[in-house]
Amino acid sequence: MLIRFKQFALTAAVTLVVACGAPAPDSASPEASSAAPTPRHADGLVNFDRQPGELGHWALPSQHSLVEIGASVAFDESGLLVNPEDAAKVAPFMDWSLALYRYRQANGLKDDPVNACISPAGPRHLMDPRGFRLIHDRNFDRLYVLFGGGNRNWRHMELDGRPLPNLDEVVGTYFGYSRGAWQGDTLVVESTGFNDRFWFSNGGLPHTPALKLTERFSRPDHDTLVYNVTVDDPRTYTRPWTAEWTLTWVPGDIEEQFCEQ
Amino acid sequence: MKPLKSLLLHAALLPAFALAQEGYPLDGTWRGQWGPEATTAVVVMGWDGTRIEGRINPGRNTSNFTAATLDASQWTVHIEAVTREGQSIVIEGTLADLGSYHRTLTGTWTVDGTAYPLTLTRE
Repeated sequence: MLIRFKQFALTAAVTLVVACGAPAPDSASPEASSAAPTPRHADGLVNFDRQPGELGHWALPSQHSLVEIGASVAFDESGLLVNPEDAAKVAPFMDWSLALYRYRQANGLKDDPVNACISPAGPRHLMDPRGFRLIHDRNFDRLYVLFGGGNRNWRHMELDGRPLPNLDEVVGTYFGYSRGAWQGDTLVVESTGFNDRFWFSNGGLPHTPALKLTERFSRPDHDTLVYNVTVDDPRTYTRPWTAEWTLTWVPGDIEEQFCEQ
Repeated sequence: MKPLKSLLLHAALLPAFALAQEGYPLDGTWRGQWGPEATTAVVVMGWDGTRIEGRINPGRNTSNFTAATLDASQWTVHIEAVTREGQSIVIEGTLADLGSYHRTLTGTWTVDGTAYPLTLTRE
């Protein structure tokens, strides 16, 4: 199967191997603290997107796979473990999910659904090197994610206080159903209703339709987005666990790309 | 006519991608044959986080699982069920081609102590 992606300029710029679990650049670093202050809307709410007249988007993720905070595990850019023996450190797996993760890793991720042009859904779209934007539609109080991975996809999060749907009444989707609320300057988003037709992380971490995510978005300064996600899938992992990475504000627009096979 | 042909082609290809399943390896519907007369068997399985629930030949002659285990270290499966007539069924098999949408379970189908070859393919 021939897969061809266009315009990988950002991908090439990303470091080939990163140490995940190591402290990521954050607002406390000297470099980040010299950045401009957090952009805000007129009413003081944090603006995760561009200011008028500005071009830019979020890219350069500090990690290339989900991994539990505190675990010292190194991955390459595709999510392959540098040391396969580290597999069990990545998350609190059940026996079957650890075995499946190891199987996928040992196969060099050849079964990755993105090879069939399936979108890098779940939190994976927020670590795609092609980047994304977070656009807050204030009229409908809805946050859109427009991202460069996949086929010009989008995701939306409802911030208007509506409850999550009854899972017995909806069809599981690649991005689930998301409801968000502000806790100070942090946007907290709960998502459920995923299908299991995709890999939710680079590297092949398994999940089931029982997956529930709690995501926390914060922008401590103009150039830094901190993304924190708690994974709760009691059919796959023995307990909830949390991963975190940062993204950097990159000037310019997201490059258009489509998956072709 | 060209758009119609394209639409039909895409519709034919859709199930392979739309129904791909990447979660618990046994989840879903499996179909195959066992025994000298190539008797068709349909097995439906689902993982609830603690046990594998399932049934053999859903419908009027459904046999619900009485036990089912997956040994992920070898990808071996053991299933027990009892038919309405009281016959015991034991399925022993090994999963193969885990990354494929059409993964297989190959082993034996044992009825009242007699074992027959079995191959199931995930639909």
